[in-house]
This record gives sequence, structure tokens and C-alpha cells, in this order.
Amino acid sequence: MLKSGITDTPPEIQDKHEQKTRLVCAHCGLDCPNDSVHLGDLYFCCQGCKKVYELLHANEMCAYYDLNEKPGITPQQDTSNLKYGFLDEEEIQQKLKEFSDGTTARVTFHIPAMHCASCIYLLERLNQLDSAITNSRVNFVRKELTLTYREEERSLREVVELIASLGYEPRIRLEDVEKKGRKDDRKKLYMQIGVAGFAFGNIMLLSFPEYLAHGTESVETFLRNLFVWVSAILSIPVVVFSGQDYLTSAWKGLRHKVVNLDVPISLGILALMGRSWFEIISGVGVGYFDSLSGLIFLLLLGKLFQAKTYETLSFERDYTAYFPVAVLKKEIDCERSVPVMSLEPGDRIVIRNQELIPADSILIAGDGAIDYSFVTGESQPVPKENGDIIYAGGRQIGEAIELDVIEKVSQSYLTRLWNHDSFTDQETRGTASLANRISKHFVAAVLLIALGAFLLHLPSDAGLAFQVLTAVLIVACPCALALATPFTLGTTMRIFGRNDLYLKNADVVERMAHVTSLIFDKTGTLTQSGTGEIQRIGEELGEDQLSLVKSLIRHSTHPLSMRLYAGLQAPVHPVVENFREYPGRGIEGIVQGQKIRVGSRTFTGAGDITDNIGLENLVGETHFSINDVYSGGFRIQTQLRPGLQGLIDRLKQRFNLALLSGDTEREKELLQPIFPNDTPMQFNQSPHDKLQYIKSQQKEGKKVLMVGDGLNDAGALQASHVGIALTEDVTAFSPASDALLDANTLGELDRFLCFSRIAVRIIIAGFVLSFLYNIIGLSFAVAGKLSPLVSAILMPASSISVVAFATFYTRWRAKMYGLRI
Amino acid sequence: MNVIVILLGVSLTIAIGFLIAFLWSVRSGQYEDTYTPSVRILLDDVDNKSQNNTAEEKVREKDDGQQS
Amino acid sequence: MANNLETFRYDNQIVKLFAWATMIFGVIGMAVGVLVAFQLVFPSLNFGIPYTTLSRIRPVHTNAVIFAFVGNAIFMGVYHSMPRLLKTPMWSKALSYFHFWGWQAIIVSAAVTIPLGFTTSKEYAELEWPFDVAIVVVWGLFILNVVMTMLKRRERHLYVAIWFYIATAVTVWVLHIFNSFEIPYNWLRSYSLYAGVQDALVQWWYGHNAVAFVLTTPFLGLMYYYLPKAANRPVYSYRLSIIHFWSLIFIYIWAGPHHLLYSALPGWAQSLGTAFSIMLIAPSWGGMFNGLLTMRGAWYKFREDPIIKFMVVAVVCYGWATLEGPLLALKSVNSISHFTDWTISHVHVGTLGWNGMLTMGIMYWLIPRLWKTKLKWKWMASTHFYLAFVGMIIYVVPLWLAAVTQGLMWKAFNADGFLMYPNFIEITQRILPLLLMRGLGGALYLFGFVLMIVNLVATMKEGSFEKETEAQAAPLEKEVKGEKVFWHRWLEKRPVQFSILATIVIAIGGFVEIVPLYVIRSNVPTISSVTPYTPLELEGRDIYIREGCLACHSQQVRPFRDETERYGPYSMAGEYVYDHPFLWGSKRTGPDLHRVGGKYPDGWHYSHMEDPVSMTPGSIMPVYPWLITNQLNTNATAAKIRAMQTLGVPYPEGYDEMALADLQTQADSIAANLQESGYEVESDREIIALIAYLQRLGQDIKVTGP
Repeated sequence: MLKSGITDTPPEIQDKHEQKTRLVCAHCGLDCPNDSVHLGDLYFCCQGCKKVYELLHANEMCAYYDLNEKPGITPQQDTSNLKYGFLDEEEIQQKLKEFSDGTTARVTFHIPAMHCASCIYLLERLNQLDSAITNSRVNFVRKELTLTYREEERSLREVVELIASLGYEPRIRLEDVEKKGRKDDRKKLYMQIGVAGFAFGNIMLLSFPEYLAHGTESVETFLRNLFVWVSAILSIPVVVFSGQDYLTSAWKGLRHKVVNLDVPISLGILALMGRSWFEIISGVGVGYFDSLSGLIFLLLLGKLFQAKTYETLSFERDYTAYFPVAVLKKEIDCERSVPVMSLEPGDRIVIRNQELIPADSILIAGDGAIDYSFVTGESQPVPKENGDIIYAGGRQIGEAIELDVIEKVSQSYLTRLWNHDSFTDQETRGTASLANRISKHFVAAVLLIALGAFLLHLPSDAGLAFQVLTAVLIVACPCALALATPFTLGTTMRIFGRNDLYLKNADVVERMAHVTSLIFDKTGTLTQSGTGEIQRIGEELGEDQLSLVKSLIRHSTHPLSMRLYAGLQAPVHPVVENFREYPGRGIEGIVQGQKIRVGSRTFTGAGDITDNIGLENLVGETHFSINDVYSGGFRIQTQLRPGLQGLIDRLKQRFNLALLSGDTEREKELLQPIFPNDTPMQFNQSPHDKLQYIKSQQKEGKKVLMVGDGLNDAGALQASHVGIALTEDVTAFSPASDALLDANTLGELDRFLCFSRIAVRIIIAGFVLSFLYNIIGLSFAVAGKLSPLVSAILMPASSISVVAFATFYTRWRAKMYGLRI
Repeated sequence: MNVIVILLGVSLTIAIGFLIAFLWSVRSGQYEDTYTPSVRILLDDVDNKSQNNTAEEKVREKDDGQQS
Repeated sequence: MANNLETFRYDNQIVKLFAWATMIFGVIGMAVGVLVAFQLVFPSLNFGIPYTTLSRIRPVHTNAVIFAFVGNAIFMGVYHSMPRLLKTPMWSKALSYFHFWGWQAIIVSAAVTIPLGFTTSKEYAELEWPFDVAIVVVWGLFILNVVMTMLKRRERHLYVAIWFYIATAVTVWVLHIFNSFEIPYNWLRSYSLYAGVQDALVQWWYGHNAVAFVLTTPFLGLMYYYLPKAANRPVYSYRLSIIHFWSLIFIYIWAGPHHLLYSALPGWAQSLGTAFSIMLIAPSWGGMFNGLLTMRGAWYKFREDPIIKFMVVAVVCYGWATLEGPLLALKSVNSISHFTDWTISHVHVGTLGWNGMLTMGIMYWLIPRLWKTKLKWKWMASTHFYLAFVGMIIYVVPLWLAAVTQGLMWKAFNADGFLMYPNFIEITQRILPLLLMRGLGGALYLFGFVLMIVNLVATMKEGSFEKETEAQAAPLEKEVKGEKVFWHRWLEKRPVQFSILATIVIAIGGFVEIVPLYVIRSNVPTISSVTPYTPLELEGRDIYIREGCLACHSQQVRPFRDETERYGPYSMAGEYVYDHPFLWGSKRTGPDLHRVGGKYPDGWHYSHMEDPVSMTPGSIMPVYPWLITNQLNTNATAAKIRAMQTLGVPYPEGYDEMALADLQTQADSIAANLQESGYEVESDREIIALIAYLQRLGQDIKVTGP
């Protein structure tokens, strides 16, 4: 399942490790820039790593390094005392702590960095590093750490700083304080299955004599009665505890005049129970307790199968999952961190490097370079000038900036988008599932047959009539029907998951099958910026100048620089003196005695932007100056995602497509050719426009599938029939969409759509199968010949065969279809 | 075959006992984490290892490897 | 340093003791086994001494290997792994040591009393009542110790191994209690409370579950702890191991009756056994794969590390046995396999392969660690592995062949519809070479085991034993959410659950009380012609039990044409109502005896006991000359009658007084009968009683028969 924690490579391989020549950090395994930082013959990439090593060494915890090769994580350099200042806020502490009695407190953190056995080892031995921590336990699956510590000795902040200093930086977000840690809702289901399974096993056992009684020797009546009554007693908890959800849901359904699939199921359960008890009390028979418990047991298994989604992915996140808990508020005399929720318009806040802007605000001081990747998926920071409005959700890269809040967090643009009604009411999108739609007619049919049979026998033999009535209800109980859907969809969902399309839940498959039209959002979805060909801005340069620039950008890790470095044809001068990086703006250094700057327009002194081109255009541009003389720059063309052309070609045959983009028309010419001519293409769309467009489409009765890229499309994604968020990293970023698609798999989209249709067809086939069983059963029932044995065989037989069919046929088709299974 | 009654009773009693144990274990969150425990058991004797005979242990692992 | 950590010490001494016990009793048990194996081929190897005769020492072998060797191995593992898993020493050191010495005392007394003929004759439960009581006490205290340790634990999560241990402890205890209801008639002897079919049912319900909960669940627990340790890898899927445990536990309890297929047991109960045995395959194989897949990415260790070799092969054998078992539970297969050596072969895949090899793997891993050194001779361990493996194969495969040959020859009919091999001995002769090979296989296995001991002792000499291992852990913090740490607190908080537990306790108590009268009431004869045994026959029957005749002779003619042809009318439940205990046996090394009564003249039995070969050339039955010289001890006769009366056997009121007289008259008549046919024998010899019993067998039916 998970990456095996313990690894000890065979000796021969270990030897290879020793013979490495290049310097590797003894803590984290990264290359060391130089051999300056070391402890004896152990070298480290940075002081941080060295510190951690020394700490562990001092506490005899070097086993940390025996378990895995170089397991460490480089601790965050920035452990400025301000970083976790907000944890001193009483209010925030209250919300974070699961428990606190003044002396000891317990708190649970999510720690993304956790990755191997060494992590477990270290994190569960924190009390050896700090005696104030009395207990620390890891849940590796959830990457959670639960800590108990003495409050009078350590503050929450100190504890967090300790963990962070070890490299295990806890991820504390607004949601952590907004709502308490998630509860394991499956416990109840497991218990229900346990009870049902236990009862089923024992009742089956006790029914054996009955089954075989028809054979040679029958059981003494005394035993017979004993067995029956024990079965009856065992079946009580099965109905009352294990089966309660079906009954209640059916009841709720009926109260809302909805006939969901649980109605016939409940009918069946009740009929089984009533008939059985009647039989044993009146002594006419032994009842159907085996079928009863078996039925519920199987149904619950189906439920469990359906309930299982991906442990690591949480779809239920909203913007609070990304927003900080607190922000640094500037007051007349001091700076102090306050909960973001308490921000009021007019507050002056300070946002430092890598921090997220929690509320819409105006830039007051400092050079803003806002990375909206969290919102738009584009990584190049967008420069901001004083007085610009910065929407919440951007991340400041570079120096600390000061902002004036203009909207409360709850009123911010993003937040409003999130709280838009389309998020709350699910009905707008949810067509009732196939099974539920069928069940209406199903129930009608069953009741009809039951009644008919009842009346048929009534004149001749009332007792028989009653028997037949119940028998019909029993047999008709659509457990097979109820199982076909979850198992087919569940299997499909798993297969999709293995092919990098992660569905929120199984019903999405069904919705995908009904999609009629697709809407693409451009930004970051169809294109990858900074990957295309390089265009020169300004007059051509001589090779020597090129090589100067190239030598400098060699030292930058910025994606653009790397691309550029690869693209430029020129020799490289190895030596660069006083190299400096200005976060979010550019880099500077002396090459061959000449001062070179590479970065944004302003940084390279391109002067004020005379032509009023929007900031958009700056994306993908790099400018540079030599000896403070602006010397033009390069634009790196945006490029289509691989496989897009083919995808569109395949899609346009079956669906009507549309393109909504938040961008300027700049890349229209890039996208135009691949789409059919009649494709509606709208640019400069605000998220709200997109939402409206989708609603209008849906009014026309179209079932819209939207491929967006996260938060700024969130409203639209949510509103659409199926919303697929495209993302580079499925675990890191999962907005409230129906599905996550790994960006590299975009080309496969049509395959998924087609297969979801196959899946639905398989479900229908499953229904047909289970109907056949029902008909066989009914023929017994109507004739009044439904012996306990028959039903005990028929029910599991139908359920199990339908389940097997659903599971294996789906897998087989997927295999045929070339999907990884 | 009245002895069956006894066997039935005993078996049921035992089984119910286990059922209760099962319900308890689920309810008390025994199975909330179905991975870490399997690693945890491998970590406990690591401590004394690291304190005294890490080196030894390592050597041992090694030549175990080379032999045979 | 950290001041909230509690420091405590794991006791290694107890582990050391159990390790020694495992090695010693391992050698003894296996040695006896090998002796028995060879006696089958060379009967003279009993040296003409009663106490070394096959029929008496076979139970010594079974008990020694199951309860002494395997048992001590389990305790060794539990006392080592459990404290470490729970991060606390055992709750009571005193109890631990009481458990150790108590258990060894029971074993030794078994080794003494069983050859002396003090046996209940119930397989794997041969010990007489005083020792049964001792087991209840010792094992009960073991449970107490385990449970209390659990409550005192510092690790919240109960690792799956712990669950397996607990299931073992509790279930075995209950099984033992209910299988051991018996009415003593003197300080060392007793009659089983149940009779005939009922006794058989209880016995095999116990017998099967003994296999399940002594040879399987504890070793799965050990596997889940030591295999990952040895491979230094977490178990392949911990989730699967949890499912494995719960599914296994819920199914096992019911699989018992499959040991009685085609017996006089009601058909539905038999089919039940079969059905649940089949179901067992799923969880068992789940466990096997979980064990094997744990090795993924570390298979190079299988090449290099003998410990891994042992453990992996053990797990494979577990899979093999758990597949073969259900197979044997199929009626069609069982009709051939039952009463043959197939059962023996099957059992030894489990014991030699699964239990033996896992134990050895564990010891090779554990001993060097306890002695803080490395294994002295790795090559020797590897050699041991190959000896054990080859030994097992040479043991299991020939026996399997023997079984099939035997089973088929018994059933073979010729064209004219007569048995093709009416002469039982002819078939036996055919399989002797295979039985010999089996013996050799066992010897190889034993030799390997001795090598291990040599190797381990040398290792101990090398290192220095660590009496106690110091460890530290934070105390288990009080759970502040809904979860409750300790059972009792869990109970306090939930009166409902408490009442449930209470009812269960009461239920058990209730059972213990109602069982006696209940069973006795149900022992009313269902066949009018079936009458209680005469005092002499009863004494004879006790000699039959003492000598352990049922080790080789069944008393259960199954409803097959070949058996009715060979032995007579098939057995009916009603015939056994006075059999305390039942003597169906489980193996036909010799022919069935349920219809032997009247088949041969008294004289035949006389000389057959003196020297079987004289009557049956080529017979492999041991000689029982002492039966002719020994005087019949009738001191307890009256007591026996009384005991039987309390068990509901309808002897007339006060018959115990007249019993001896009746006994004498019957004895005299038999003696006279023998003298006529020229055998000089006193009427007060044991042989007389035995003959009386044998001649009685199956007669009740003939009386009424057409």
C-alpha cells in the first residue's frame, strides 16, 4: 500500500552508496554546495541540517539515520520569531487544541513532510528531545502528529517551532481552527458489518439442519426450535443496528415523496422479518432469518466498497484549507499577529515573503510580486505597484509588503465566489442516480405483482395468499439491484484513479456518462506557459552579450531562466561575482567585470510602461540590462499542452465544445486553429461570467462538463454538471470539484468520458441480470413455494453473481479499453 | 444429540465475546491507523541498537550478506 | 533526559526458560515419535516392555510435541513479544514463573502417567482428571496474567499478534474445560461425562479447535511479530492481517465436526463441518500471502539468511496444510482418506512445516539477541534447514502414498463383487516400506533439531545473557475523546456493555452447572437390545483403554459396502450409549474392532495377544504377553459401577455390591472355555477381561439382527 517505511538495501548496493564522490548532506541527502558545513567527516548542505543532526546525536537518536538513507528534511531557513507568532493568540490556541486542562494540552497537526519510517521514529520520540512533550503519536496514513505537552512548561508556539526546526513543518490553515479535526465516519459502518457478518455466519450455521432436513434424517424438534429461536434473537441486532440506515433513509425518502432504492430494500427487510417472526411464533415454519441477515450483510459490504475513496485526497477542502490562520497586523507602535477572521477594512497588514494575502486589499508599501499559482495555476509572479488592488489568494514573493485591507475575509472576492449558492445546493447538478430512477417503477411493479398474487390466492386460501404476498416482497427485494451500481461504479472509480483521474465519489462516473458539452478554461489548462519558443524583444544581441546573460541566469532556479538558459546558444563564463537575487524581481551579478541584471521590466530599468499593455503581457517575459543599460529581453511563447490537438479532434465529434478564458485575447490565435470554427471562445471572462455562462448552458438543458484549474474557476466547476480540476499535483491542491485530473493525462479525457458510458451500460446489464433472478424467485413466490432454502440460496446467489459480474466485467472492459487496471 | 446444545452455547458464547471485542476495537479507534503500527513494532529495538551496538549490528548485517 | 518517560525492564529469564523447555521437550517428543514410527515397521522395538509399547507411547508423542514442544515455543514467543508490543513487563512475574513450572510439571506428569496407562483415551486430551484440573488452573492464571498485562500497557494500539494470543488463551481454556467433564472413580481414573456419539462430537469439536487454537492462531501471532522483525520489513498489509484475524476467529469455532464424517453423527452436523472447513481456506490463504508478500523486495535474504528460509517455508506449509485440510473434509475424499495415514501426513505438514520451522526460525533469531551476540555457526543453521526440509518431505510424501494405496485397496472389489483384498494384513504389508521411509524422514528432522540445539548452546556460550532488557516509554495517556483505554473504564462508562459481559460470564457458569444432568438425561438407550457392559467386560474395556488399543484400531464401521463386507453391519449411534468414553479411534493401522465380537474363538485372542504373528503371519501388532501374566485388579470394580450409575448407565440399584460375583462367574466360564481349547490360564488374569470385552463388541445388534 504505502511506501514501505523500512528499507535496507542489499549489501552490494549499500557499498555503492559509500563510493559516492560528490558531497551529499548527511542529513537530507541533498548535494552540498560546498564543504564549508561539516561535522568531522560528515558534511551538510546547510546549517539547518547540521543543527538537526547535532540535536539527534546529542539525544542518542541517530537510529533516525540507520532506518533510511539520509531521511532528513532541510528545515525552513526562515524561522523568524514572527512566523509562528500567531500561535500565541489565545483565541487561536483555543481552537487548535483538542484538549486542554491548563496543565496539559493535546493538539494534532498535519505534517506533509512526513515520508518514511525515520519520520515516525523521530516524531514519536519527541519527548526525548523535549521533556515537556509527554506523548507524541503519528498516524502515517493521514500524515498527522498528535502531541500532548505540559502547558506551563511549553507554549504551543514553542512546540510547533521545535517540530518545524526539525524540518517537519506543521501545516496550520484556517480550516484547522474553523472546524475540528475530521471524524472517522466509517467506524459505524464497520461495526454494522461486524454485527451483520457475525449473525449471518451463526444463523446460516443454525439453518443447516433445516436445509438438510429434506434429506435423509431430520433434526429432533427440540433442537429445531432451539436453533430457530436463537436465529431469531441473533437477527434482531442485524435489523435494528446494521440495517437501520436503509430503513431510515427509505422513511426519509417517502416523507419527501421520493421513492429511492432503499424503499424496496426496506420493504424486503420488513417483509422478511415480519414473515419470519410470524412463522416461528405461529409455529408454521422456521422463517427466513438466514436470508435476512445475509441480505443486510451483503448490502453493507456493497456500501463499504462504495464508501472507500482515496485516503490521501480530501475533496472537502474549501479556501480555508489554503488561508493562513493569522496575519501580521501593523499598529501604531507595534506589529502583532491577529486571526485573519478578525481583519476589518482599514487594517494595515504586513505580508512577508511566501505569505498568502488573506483579504482583498490595496498595496501601500513595498514592491509586490504576487504569485497567483494558488488561484490561476500560473507560477510567474505578477508585479504590483503601490495603490494596486490585490485580491485575496495571491502569494507575495520577495520583500515584505504592507497592505490596507479593503474587505473582510468573508467579503473578499474569492470568499464570495466560494460562498456562492452554487456551492451550497447540490440539487442544481445532481440528477437522481440511475438506480433511484429505476426503483420508482420497480417498486410499483413489485407492489402490483404482490397485490395481484395476493388477490389471486385470497378466495381459495387466505393463509397462502398472505404467504405469497410476503414471499413476493421478499424475493423482489432488489439487493442485487442495489449492489450492481456501487460495485460497477466503485470499480470504475478505482480504475480511473489508477489512470490519474481521481473522482470525488462514484456517482461522478454516472454524471460523466451524461455529459453533452465540454467547457475548457484556458489558463493553465490548455497551455503551459514558459515552454514555447523564445522570441527576442528589442534589437539583436551579439554573442558575447548573450553569453554574459546566459552565464548569469545559469545561477537562477526560476523556471523562465532555466528555459532561457537551455534556449540561448552561447558560451558560458563560469565565474560570476557578487551574485544577488532580488526575490520576485530578478537577479544581478558581475560577469567579466560587467554588471548584469536579469528580471522584470522595472528591475532592468525598462522605464515606465508607456504602451499600456496589461500585466498579463509581462507573463513569460524576461528583460535584462548590462551595466544598468536596458537591453531588451526575451518572450517565451506559451505552448499548448501535449496531446491537446488530438483530444480536441476526438472530442469535437461527440460533444459541443466551448472555451472560456480569464485571459486577454493574446493567445486566441494560438488556440483558434485546434478548435472547430463554430466553437464559442470568450476571453476576459471573470469567474462570475463563467458561472453565468454555464448556468445559461444548463438552462438550454445541456449537461456541461467543465475543465477548470482551481479556485478562480471554482464557482463554475461547482455549478457545472461535472467539474474537473486540472492539477499538476493531485495531493497538494484539491478544490471543491468533482474530479481531479493529472494535467499530463489531459489527452486521455475522452477515453474517460467514453468508458463512463460503458460503465453505465454495465450497470444496466447488472440490473437485467438481477431482474432475471427476481423473475425466477417470483415464479416460486407467486406459486407459494418459496421455501427458506430456496430464498437462502437464491438471494446470496443473485447478489454474489451480480457483484462478481459488475466487478470483473468492468475490469475486463477497462483492460480491453487499454486503461491501466 | 443434546450435547450439541452445549457446544452451540459454548461456541456462541465465545463468538459473542469476540464480537464484543471487535466492536470495542473499532469503536475505540484501534483501526483508525492501519499502517503505522506495522512500522512501529520495528522501531522499538532500534533504540538500544543506536545506543550500544549500532556498529556491531551493521557489521553483522554486512557479513551475513557476504557469507553463503 | 526526558523525565516523563517511565523506565521498566523486560524479563528475559522467563523467555530463556521456555526456550530451554522448547528444545528439551522438542527432542524428547520427536524422539518418541521416531521410535513409534519405527515400531510400526519393527514391532519388536517395544523391547517387550509395556511402557515403551507403541499403543501407550503414541499419546506421549502427540502430547509431548503439541503441548510440550509447541506449547513451550508459544509461551517463549508470547513472553518475549507481548511485553515489547505492549511496552510493559508482564503484569506478574510470579505468575509467569508459576505458569512455567506449573506447565512443566503437568508435562512431566503426563510423560509418566500416560505410559503407565493412566489415560482418558481422548486424543490430545489423554491426561487424567487431576492434571485436567491442573491445566485449568495454570492456564487460567496465564490468561489472567496476559489480560492484566494488556490493561497495564503503555501502547494504545493492540498489535494484531496480541489479538491472536488472546484468542488462543481464552478459547483453548474454554475448550479444555468442556471437553474434560469426567466422573472420577478413584484419585487417578475417571469416566467421560459424555457417552458415545456425544462424547465423540465434543472430543472432535475440541480436537479440531485444539489444532486451530494451539497450532494455528498463536503461531500466526508469532508470524506477524517475528517475520517482519527478521525480514526487517513491515508486514505486507496490516489491514489484511486484521481482516485475517477476525474472519479466522469467527469461522474456526464451527469446523469441528468434519472429523466425524460418515460417523454415527447426524448428517447435517457433518455437512456443517465440511462447509465451514471450506470457508476457512479464504482467511488462511489471506494470511499466508500476507506473510509471503512481507518478503517483497527482500528475497535476497531468503538466499542468504537461514532464519528467513525457515520462516518462509513455514508460511508456505501453513498454506499447504490449510488447503489440504478442507480437501480432506470433503466427504468424497474423506471416505478414502479417513482412518488412513493421510491424516497423519496432513497433520505433519502443519506440525513439522508450519509449527516446527517457524519455531526454529524464531529461536535462531531470538537466542543470539537475548545473548547479545551473533549465531555461532551460520552454515550449521543452513544445514539444519535442508535436513528439516528434506526430512519433512520424506516424511509426508511416502505417508501420503501409503494412505492412498491403503484407502484404495481397502475399497477394492473384484469382478465377482468380493473384496479384492479381504485379508487386512496383506494391505498393511504393502505399505510397510513407505512407513519405513517416513520413519527415516522423521529421524532426519530430529537430527536437524539436535544440530540447532548444539548451535544455539554454542551461541549462548559465546555471548552473555541479558537477564533483563531496559526500556522506556511514555505512560498511556488518558483518552479524552470518546475512546476508552481500559476495559474496566470502558465498562463503567457503558452499563449496557457491562451487562452483556456479565450475562456471558453467567452463561458460562450456567453451562458448567447444567451440563452434567443435561447430558446424563439424554443418555437414554435408543436401541432396546443394547445393554450395559458386564463388570468383567467393563474391566476389559478399561484394559483396552489402558493399553491404548484405539491408537491402531477403530470401533466405527462406516456405511460403505467395503466396510460392511469386511467388518459387518455399520455402526449406529444407539450402540454407543454406554461408551464412557467413546473408543471410535481415528486410525486403522489394524482392522476395525466394532464387530470383532464372536468373530474368533477366545483361544485365538489369547494367543494373538501373546504373539500376534502366531495368528496373523506378518502382523505388525506388538506383543502383549503381560496381559496373560498380570492379575486383574478388581479393587475399583464397585466404584466403577457406581460411577457408571451416576452417569446414567442403568445398572440395578446396589449392583456395585454384586458386581464382583458376576465378574467372577463370567471370568470362570471364559477360563473354562479356554481350557477346553487347551490354554492353561487362571480366571483372574487381565487377558480374560479383555477377551470378555472383545467378544462382547457388536453383539447387541446381532441379538436382534435378522
